[in-house]
Amino acid sequence: MFIAIVPAYNEEKRIAQVVSDLLKSVDSVIVVDDKSRDNTIGEATQSGAMVLQHKINLGQGAALETGHEYARSIGVDYVLHFDGDGQFCVEDIAPALEKLKESKADILFGSRFLDNRSKVPFLKKYFLLPIGRFINKLFGVVSLKDSQNGFRILNRNALEKIKITQNGMAHATEIMGLTRKHNLNYVEFPVKVIYHEYGQGIGGGLKIVKDLFLGKFLK
Amino acid sequence: MLLLIFKIIFALLALSAIFTVWNKKQKTLLGPKATFFWIVLWLVITLVVFWPNSTQILAEYVGIGRGVDLVIYISIACLFYLVFKMNIKIEGLKRDLTDVVRKESLKK
Repeated sequence: MFIAIVPAYNEEKRIAQVVSDLLKSVDSVIVVDDKSRDNTIGEATQSGAMVLQHKINLGQGAALETGHEYARSIGVDYVLHFDGDGQFCVEDIAPALEKLKESKADILFGSRFLDNRSKVPFLKKYFLLPIGRFINKLFGVVSLKDSQNGFRILNRNALEKIKITQNGMAHATEIMGLTRKHNLNYVEFPVKVIYHEYGQGIGGGLKIVKDLFLGKFLK
Repeated sequence: MLLLIFKIIFALLALSAIFTVWNKKQKTLLGPKATFFWIVLWLVITLVVFWPNSTQILAEYVGIGRGVDLVIYISIACLFYLVFKMNIKIEGLKRDLTDVVRKESLKK
């Protein structure tokens, strides 16, 4: 069984399209609504997704881990992480899954930099992402070309071992860290990212560093 | 005379603060480490208020010119430490809250 976990927060405009597109590539779509104030839940349910609801807004990392817990409880073979804002392309899913199986890896990380389909903003590409890679090195995680990509596929082994404790955007670095910690085999795969919004800025980056630092002092 | 009145008022305040700390400890609202920290802090502050020169002696011993500078440095260090501890505590509470919210969302 192959399921997609879609963390969503105020995505009523795009979630229906994302879910219906995803259902062509996966067996089931789990939308984890992170206390949206709009009709994300209604739109996702209508388009055929199973919706899990957070009663409090916790962050993308927390929503992904809720999806993980659900996936563990029903015993899936593969889990796809896919953003709810339609920035990823469903055409990348089948070849990515194929690549994961073929390379016998436990986890596949999407990358914007293995081909030139993604139009990454200049500042992000040449300033923020290199800083991100440097910070990831400081925290001793696996070395990837794209340090903050939300497109991932995990097999059952990775799903059992990767338990996200970072509620916010620091989960991306945490997942890379857990991949190294548990000695999981990983592979990078080119995916296309369409920018509807800018995404993480400098403030967001600083928050990630703060969260990762404080996380080191918690079990 | 005015200084003496100030010292007496401060001593009463410090005594009441220590009493409050002890009360919280009795009600298990404070752990042994935190109780020790707050009682020692209030005793040290009282010592400094009654014998201001004591900071000067310590400052000279550790190679800092003025006693008041030593007090400022120690205060800043303590404040940083407390903010850090508070952040850790908040992170822990956030994780507890996440567990509760997650369990609730998976109930169906």
